[in-house]
Amino acid sequence: MFFNSFHFVIFLPIVFILYWFVFNKSKNYQNYLLIIASYYFYSCWNWRFLFLLVFSTLLDYFSAIQIENSSNDRLRKMWLWLCISINLGFLGVFKYYNFFASSFAELLQSFGVTASPILLELILPIGISFYTFHGLSYIIDIYYKRIKSEKNFIDYSLFVSYFPLLVAGPIERATHLLPQVKVKREFNLEKAKEGIYQIIWGLVKKIVIADSCAVYANEIFNHYPTMNSLSLVLGAIYFAFQIYGDFSGYSDIALGTSKLFGIDLLKNFNYPYFSRDIAEFWRRWHISLSLWFRDYLYIPLGGSKGNKLFQIRNTFIIFLVSGFWHGANFTYVAWGFINALYFLPLLVLNRNRKNVDDFSLGLNFESIRTVINILMTFSITCFAWIFFRSKTIHDATGYIKRMFENHDFSWQYFSIDRYSYELISLVVIFIFVEWNNRHKIEPISGKYSWLKLALCLAAILALGVFSDYKEFIYFQF
Amino acid sequence: MKKFIQFIGKILVLFILTLVLLDALYTLVYKQSSERTKIDYLYNSKDQNYDVVFLGSSRVNNHFVPQIFKDNGYKTFNFGLTRSRLEESALMLKLMVERNYKIKNLILQVDLNINTNDHSEAIRSLFMPYIHQSETIRNHYKNIDEYNELLYIPFYRYMNYDARIGFREMYQTAIHKKTNALDNDGFYPLMTDERPMVAADLSKYYPKRNKGYEEIKAICKKNHINLIALTTPICMETINREYFDKIKLIYPEIRSFENAVTDDKYFSTCGHMNKDGAIEFTKIVFKAYFKPKS
Repeated sequence: MFFNSFHFVIFLPIVFILYWFVFNKSKNYQNYLLIIASYYFYSCWNWRFLFLLVFSTLLDYFSAIQIENSSNDRLRKMWLWLCISINLGFLGVFKYYNFFASSFAELLQSFGVTASPILLELILPIGISFYTFHGLSYIIDIYYKRIKSEKNFIDYSLFVSYFPLLVAGPIERATHLLPQVKVKREFNLEKAKEGIYQIIWGLVKKIVIADSCAVYANEIFNHYPTMNSLSLVLGAIYFAFQIYGDFSGYSDIALGTSKLFGIDLLKNFNYPYFSRDIAEFWRRWHISLSLWFRDYLYIPLGGSKGNKLFQIRNTFIIFLVSGFWHGANFTYVAWGFINALYFLPLLVLNRNRKNVDDFSLGLNFESIRTVINILMTFSITCFAWIFFRSKTIHDATGYIKRMFENHDFSWQYFSIDRYSYELISLVVIFIFVEWNNRHKIEPISGKYSWLKLALCLAAILALGVFSDYKEFIYFQF
Repeated sequence: MKKFIQFIGKILVLFILTLVLLDALYTLVYKQSSERTKIDYLYNSKDQNYDVVFLGSSRVNNHFVPQIFKDNGYKTFNFGLTRSRLEESALMLKLMVERNYKIKNLILQVDLNINTNDHSEAIRSLFMPYIHQSETIRNHYKNIDEYNELLYIPFYRYMNYDARIGFREMYQTAIHKKTNALDNDGFYPLMTDERPMVAADLSKYYPKRNKGYEEIKAICKKNHINLIALTTPICMETINREYFDKIKLIYPEIRSFENAVTDDKYFSTCGHMNKDGAIEFTKIVFKAYFKPKS
């Protein structure tokens, strides 16, 4: 079951009605219902992997208590590393084993040694990267005594498996989510309305923007050797909006759905394509993952303490691991590496926290400079997305090479019976709407909300892609 | 909570209203179009008299040149639709009857398309804007899985087939942007030649009794239309050309023309002739069945 499926349209109202009308007597009832709904939600994809989710929940729950109850540091550390090893072990086997085995075999072959690696025929359990990180943050927080361990297993299970965030985040923190699941939720009309608006806007992003861009981006990336320079440039831009619409749309639906149950989730996107430099982009893109890596990898590595060389090392580690987190492919590592390279000048010149303030545009030189910075940041981001989208490094370099060497900037007619330019107006309108509403969570609420709602519904119905159903990209991670 | 339920109720009303309005708008636009596809041309025409019409897939669309028939005094139109199967050809013929067409001869391509009884989603979608207005289309599709949704849920048909009749196509239709589908009396010549030519592989093809073809035969008999069912040329490198011999075993009346044109210079791809090949082939078919009127 996915957020953009008919199944979910049936599932959500049923859970909502049961939650507020039948199971509303106490917090325990509410949590029981949400856990059952969450396990059902997950098992709709593949019930066999439910055991993995339950095992991960049990492991983290008991490990946390053991860490807290351990009398000495060695024992605490032992429990911490045992829990981390098992969690990462599962992630490693399901997500990375085949990659490492085949890469090792290729390495041996380059030295003239023939190796035939034993590859596993495994399906990647949906959401494993998300709920693993979810649990790890909890365990690490317990170890560092930032929080107390949760003794109520039901509450803790809900923290891990809460269905709006289960398969693609945001990666929640115990400090933020657990206090909310530990009290009875009361219905809040404004919050629920905000949730509905956010769900509808998320659907616009996914079905209208992301899926439309996907049609063109797929055509261009899959046939890049026959594309001209202009189409290849547009392909990178279309993919940039595809992945943004897809993932931020998913996050909006997740956050909106959660608000219907009276629970706030962490904001995951903050209009990243209006960033003035790459550091700001990473403070606005997939925020929950960026913060996770900052708190649980960057800072433990020493963070920005120490000399520049030390900081650069830590920055590269963060970006490479972040790239690798996305998938077992060198393209993701390359994407992470390129972003680290973009970050490097800002770090060396101490300008990585230069653009943390809010900004507005006017008719002055400063505004022109801001627009240029936004466009430049967007351009380099699109360039990095080429690696993220390509199947192999060879494809990515071939794409880029052709983009710069072809020199043909005419509008191309694709084999899917469309011209390369047809989507531009839709993307421009989307940018305009996002820009005008960049200080809000979604653009529907406020003045003329019914008109805006009607326009969004009409856009979903008339401009949405329905015949070519597309799952959310981040489900594969 | 009461206020929230009212709020959700209003959204649902707005949603249904949007569906109805969009459905009405799209249908209005498509109903007024007769310049973009052979189907809208057919739907918006009436009382036509034809000496010969052609039906079939791209192997008709690209292979029969009506001008050759016209030069010999025959009123002709090529209604071949690229990607269509015999099921859609049958519906085209039914629509012609519904629109009171008077047809003397029907030339029907029956070759690769009797490998399957399946339908073409791409072509089926083009009939959907008229499902409420045309009883023929409704009856033709009444046994398909999604019939009720397509007929009774407003705008469902345009969402389900958005790639073919969605906003893009509706917009192009609304601004009366013409296509070349109706140029040359429906004949679409192929001007480029794929070289080296990739051989067509028919090793998994088996002719089967075909429901669409049987329907067409029955309609022709009932409406006194002379049916000429034939195969059309395919390049000599084709793997399993014996497929065409097997067609005869199932339908002996189908005339073999797969070897009527053999030279590679007449082929754009292995399965489709270029313009010169189409002219050669049309002349051969004309000679086989017709005489110049003047």
